[in-house]
Amino acid sequence: MRRGSLVQLVALGVVIGAAATVVALVVPWLPPNAAEERDGIDLVFWFTTAICIGIFSLVGSVILYSVVKFRVRPDDDTDGPPIHGHTGIEILWTAIPAILVTAISVISGIVLVQNDRPGKDNMNVDVLARQFAWTFTYPDHQNLTSSELRLPLGRSVELHFDAADVIHSFWVPEFGQKQDAVPGQDTKLVITPTKIGTYPVICTELCGLGHALMRTSAIVMTPAAFDAWVKKQGEALNAPPGQAGKAVFANNGCASCHTFEAAGATGKVGPDLDKLPAYAKQAGKPLEAFVKESIVDPNAYVQPGFPKGVMPPFNLPADQLDALVSFLTKGSK
Amino acid sequence: MTATTLDPHTPLEAPPHAHRSALWRAGWIRAAWMTALFWGIGLGLVLVFRWWGGWDPLFKWSTITVVATLTAAPIGFLAGLGSFDYWVRYAIGSPTVPEDHSTHGGRTWKDYFRPNTDHKVIGIQYVVTTILFFVAGGLMAMIFRAELARPGMQFVDNQTFNGLVSVHAALMIFLFVIPAFAGLGNYVIPLMIGAPDMAFPRLNALSFWLLPVAGFMMLLSFVVPGGAFATGWTSYAPLASDQPLGQVFFNMGVQWAGASSIMTALNFLVTIITMRAPGMTFWRMPLLVWANFTTSLLVVIATPFIAGSQFFVMFDRVMHTHFFIPEGGGYALGYQHIFWFYSHPAVYIMMLPGFGIASEVISVMARKPIFGYRLMALSLMAILVLGFSVWAHHMFVAGVAPWLRIPMMVTSMVIAVPTGIKVFSWLATIWEGRVHFTTPMLFALGFVSMFVIGGLSGIYLAAVPIDIHVSDTYFVVAHIHYVLFGGSLFTIFAGIYYWFPKMTGRMYDERLGKLHFWMTFVGFNVTFFPMHWLGTQGMPRRVSDYAPRFADWNMAISIASFFLGASIIVFLYNMIVSWARGRRAEANPWRAMTLEWQVSSPPPFFNFDELPQVVGNPYEYGVPGARHAVFNGDRVGLVEEVEARH
Repeated sequence: MRRGSLVQLVALGVVIGAAATVVALVVPWLPPNAAEERDGIDLVFWFTTAICIGIFSLVGSVILYSVVKFRVRPDDDTDGPPIHGHTGIEILWTAIPAILVTAISVISGIVLVQNDRPGKDNMNVDVLARQFAWTFTYPDHQNLTSSELRLPLGRSVELHFDAADVIHSFWVPEFGQKQDAVPGQDTKLVITPTKIGTYPVICTELCGLGHALMRTSAIVMTPAAFDAWVKKQGEALNAPPGQAGKAVFANNGCASCHTFEAAGATGKVGPDLDKLPAYAKQAGKPLEAFVKESIVDPNAYVQPGFPKGVMPPFNLPADQLDALVSFLTKGSK
Repeated sequence: MTATTLDPHTPLEAPPHAHRSALWRAGWIRAAWMTALFWGIGLGLVLVFRWWGGWDPLFKWSTITVVATLTAAPIGFLAGLGSFDYWVRYAIGSPTVPEDHSTHGGRTWKDYFRPNTDHKVIGIQYVVTTILFFVAGGLMAMIFRAELARPGMQFVDNQTFNGLVSVHAALMIFLFVIPAFAGLGNYVIPLMIGAPDMAFPRLNALSFWLLPVAGFMMLLSFVVPGGAFATGWTSYAPLASDQPLGQVFFNMGVQWAGASSIMTALNFLVTIITMRAPGMTFWRMPLLVWANFTTSLLVVIATPFIAGSQFFVMFDRVMHTHFFIPEGGGYALGYQHIFWFYSHPAVYIMMLPGFGIASEVISVMARKPIFGYRLMALSLMAILVLGFSVWAHHMFVAGVAPWLRIPMMVTSMVIAVPTGIKVFSWLATIWEGRVHFTTPMLFALGFVSMFVIGGLSGIYLAAVPIDIHVSDTYFVVAHIHYVLFGGSLFTIFAGIYYWFPKMTGRMYDERLGKLHFWMTFVGFNVTFFPMHWLGTQGMPRRVSDYAPRFADWNMAISIASFFLGASIIVFLYNMIVSWARGRRAEANPWRAMTLEWQVSSPPPFFNFDELPQVVGNPYEYGVPGARHAVFNGDRVGLVEEVEARH
């Protein structure tokens, strides 16, 4: 009978473990860290990785070693030693994994509780997700709205999610935090940005036709730049209708689905808004009324060639709606 | 018993009811007109109700599709094929046709195209049908990998892409992995426990024929207006409540596939509990039987939940109920709770039979008893129980009560313990064995190594903070494929190669089998391993378009996936050519101890011409003089002699 050599096995295990460690360390597995919450996530990630490398080396070395050492020729018809089990070793490989997963659970639990807790000078942002755009409202700053998430550096932010139609999910890989927006339910997420920059906001829950395009940016700015932006936005909304309309267009994420030259929008999911007059004629309605209806009740008339029920109704404040309608009717030729 | 005198390859003179005209005889012609007739009845039912209620429009196609096309017509098809003939005759009091079982084994190819009550025929029907759906699902993957090779849109539009992804997953899960295991189990379980057939042969035939119905339904969704269902195989409400008509083809397809699963599971349970050969105690059952016993418990307990969730979604759509629609007082997350209460156990439904296959193959090919047999069986039971307490780990970012995440994390982690026991026991079985690297053994060992990677990435996903970062990303895609492709599919291949000689009576080509393994193994790893990185770095799943920085890896993955797809050609060629012209297989080419190898290949009609008497454990390799079973024809006194030794 061929005996296995434990020394050779351990040596092979060390080699596999070293190779796996190199793969773990050389490949940039995680995106750049741009939020406090990521520290805890990264800690759990690397702790788990260390344990997994150990287990993988063990399993990999036993299989590889057996492949080389215990292989017999096809015509060899002898049997192996009749070993049925070993109570001690079975207890061992029940207990050790149990201890390891308990350790991972404990650390995860601590990090989770920490990451759920908003900081002291916490700021609130309401997030409305709809097919296929994000709207961020700042209740602490005159209810400003924006289609991009702008955040001041170093301040903890609690995002409150709502969904207008179906379930969406908010994710910024650099922040490591993710949360579904569920219709009819409030959900929350805490983020404390630690690095200035522009990061992708990605919808990660399949939400229909335009899911892959439901993207925007999270922009982390210095507190001074953030305040300046808040001020400028406040002024833009009080500007003459044409310009205010452009702000409303941008803030409601119309550009993610529609093309509209005056706003520099090139979305392809929904109808081309530069052709609005032609569409109104097709629908047999006066332009202004048609545009208003299409925003408030989009399914009343859907331009042929586009699926019904994709665009959700937008219930904008009356002044913003008028500004938007005027922007759309004057901008389209 | 006279079964031994029947030659399996000679057609009988006259099948029952041969004197009837083809129009009335159970078969494909009757199925064709009865499908049309039942569709008409369904249509009439809808019209009568709508006319009576004064509803407008009278012809509402979404309702007609659900009632006539997806419910009534399949019943007509099954009835026409003859699935209900015996029960109908019995119910109306007309004389039933005696089924002495010897009249319909797999004599000619025609016997495979009708409801056939022989579990060996049904097993082959299952395996062949599921492989067809596997190929269909694989081709869909090839199309969307072509689309994903470069960022931006090239070949398909968004709706088609989402449809391809959804139908791919639905076919692979509901029409391939689950029923492929049911098919292998169908073939070998009665043989392994020493039974002549399953407990309910007619139910067995019906449960097979529900499958093509379900699969055809899902494929058919591509041709309805609006395209195939495009909400992923998870089909979350409320998105699914408000989609083009194709969605109901998923809602109903799952019902037919689920009904098939439940019937088969009931059949397995009753067969295993009541039809074991004398001496076959639970603790002498092969681990494959244990695995299917556990799986069947999971199926009968869990599957009704997915049936319910899909009915609710469909009711929201067709009957304007508000189970999951918040505007009407519904609870959107409720869908996910019900869905995952099935679909997490479903992961084990798709894995435990594979554990069983791996145990059979590894023990036989390493020529050693399975290490820690009892703990292996008990860990299956532990997974069964724990499997029902972890469903919310799919919902850590979904908005569940925050406190719920901690206990669900702990239970999910704890499942690693019984799973670890199984992996370590397989390793200990190989250790110092006399290892034969046949194709089934390569797939079994490939399974152990790939499944370990899938299990370890599962630990990452169970740890809530990491899961929050990677859920709904390509990390999850990588994980699920390491578990379901590296896990389930590798064991299905192991099982098909292992029992191919028993099922067909011929040997497959070993060199092609090994080529198939290595192509699969390499293609699989190059395709799926980089997806872990894509996920942690920021690529979400189920998107047709992605950030340009992921372009290179996606191109590499697509090329590898085409190579992986090509490996199936080797497999199919090997199977088809070997089945037709392979070397004749002897009864027991692997020198295995379990009962299915103690009879001829393929087995006689009633499986055992002599009743086996089980006298010992099924994996006593290397134990001098050990026997798993003796047959009546063996010399007198042997039973007592062997029993005394244990």
